Amino acid sequence: MLPLSEREVSPEIIASCRTGDRDALRVLFDTYKDRVYSLSLYFFHGDESLAADVTQQVFLKVITNVDRFKGDAAFSTWLYRLAVNACQDAARRRKSGAIVADRARLEGFAASSSQEDDYTRAQNARCVRDAVSALPPKLRMAVLLRYFDELSYEEMAQVLHCSMGTVASRLSRGHKMLAERLKGVTGAGG
Amino acid sequence: MFDRHVNTQLASYLDGELPAPERQRIERHLSSCETCRIECDQVRTGLSMVHALPLASAPAAIWNAIEAATHQTHSQPAWFRYRIPALAAVLTVAIAAILYLTLGHRHQSNWDVVGLQGSTAVDSKPIRGTSTVKPGEWIETASSSSARVQIGAIGVVEVGPATRLRVTAIRPSEHRLALARGEIHAKIIAPPKLFFVDTPSATAEDLGCEYSLKTDEDGLGLLHVTLGWVSFQWKGLESLVPAGASCRTRPHTGPGVPYFDDAPEELIQALGTLAATNYAGSSLDVVLRDARVRDTLTLWHLLPRTESPDRQRIYERIAALSPVPTDVSRERALQLDPDTLARWREALAWTW
Repeated sequence: MLPLSEREVSPEIIASCRTGDRDALRVLFDTYKDRVYSLSLYFFHGDESLAADVTQQVFLKVITNVDRFKGDAAFSTWLYRLAVNACQDAARRRKSGAIVADRARLEGFAASSSQEDDYTRAQNARCVRDAVSALPPKLRMAVLLRYFDELSYEEMAQVLHCSMGTVASRLSRGHKMLAERLKGVTGAGG
Repeated sequence: MFDRHVNTQLASYLDGELPAPERQRIERHLSSCETCRIECDQVRTGLSMVHALPLASAPAAIWNAIEAATHQTHSQPAWFRYRIPALAAVLTVAIAAILYLTLGHRHQSNWDVVGLQGSTAVDSKPIRGTSTVKPGEWIETASSSSARVQIGAIGVVEVGPATRLRVTAIRPSEHRLALARGEIHAKIIAPPKLFFVDTPSATAEDLGCEYSLKTDEDGLGLLHVTLGWVSFQWKGLESLVPAGASCRTRPHTGPGVPYFDDAPEELIQALGTLAATNYAGSSLDVVLRDARVRDTLTLWHLLPRTESPDRQRIYERIAALSPVPTDVSRERALQLDPDTLARWREALAWTW
């Protein structure tokens, strides 16, 4: 797994982005692209095409509106709010907020990204992906934001437009459901 | 001693997000409550499970697409960039512009019409297979018929049953239909403000979009947008309708207030009552009560349609749902200052 470092770009990069500096925009994109893409990918059950669309939409929105980012919150909070909105919009367009997991697609994605891993690890990853995909959308988004994007509860509350208590509750329920769904598959206890 | 269960706080406890007193309370509870202890183990297991998920690498093609789209977007007129903030519009317009330029926009003096099922007539003459229609001519479908009109190089309009549709302009800068009754579904791939549909009570102006529009002969109609944005207008009144939202229109009063299709049923019903009572009355209470964050779309459009003190109540409700930007003054918003309302809409539209 790739390290989750360099969570934030510097204020100088943001300032350069505001002036339309293409190199700075590219740095910003490179810093966040994999996390936004992963968030979308796991939210949409491994649908690479939809995840790419959502990622593209998020960064287009960032690039065309970065001059309106006031800096009164972390840049990542603003970015992930856009990402969550884009996922919600895409889910709405697909006429379903609770999309049925496409097992074949997930398995294809698991295989394509795990060829060098040992079999057991790949199997576990696939099981976890399946289980995450089966979570209700609100719980799924909370789990993914917390893990991939390392947002604090306060940041998640801002991104998800809810209280920190609600964030805590969604994460507790989400992780409990994950453990229940994975029980017996990966040896997870409970 | 009674001690409430801690199951909703277990993730924050395990993530170290709780202050010391609360953490200690949870630890005390866990030491005496087997149910919560088991649940805590489950949450801990779930937390460890997600670490099996690898971070996926975003395809390189995404950046190329963004560069292409932003290049096109920057060539759009300034008014569009600042009037419509939503990404869907920016993206759709960029793609539309590319397709428009790619496919060409040669001038045509007529459009192709294809009867899909049942009987379709152009200027009262039944058509077989493909025919053409020119400005001034009517397209009419029977009660179980449908047809398709190719709007030059910029899009397609599906014509539903029992529909009367007139072509009123075919020009490079204006593609215009008049829907007298019935229903159409339009898919337009062109820069905004090239395609218009007039109904007896409102005009739908394309801003890069896909939508359905139906009306009866009196002008009672409904617009439903599935992609991009549509500006729905009548005598200076404008409703901006984004994807996933609908907007009714009525004779003599024009387009109403747009609402998201997933809005609470009671809110939608109350909007109908409000529109019939010139936006006064107790139905506003229901709208304010049931509005969610994204229903600020509806609330923002209600501002210019209401008077004090209802307008103040709407302002306060929007402010409660979404922080008011620092450059939006309460006083100027309530005075319906166009620039202030536009800035506020720009900020709110992130949630639409």
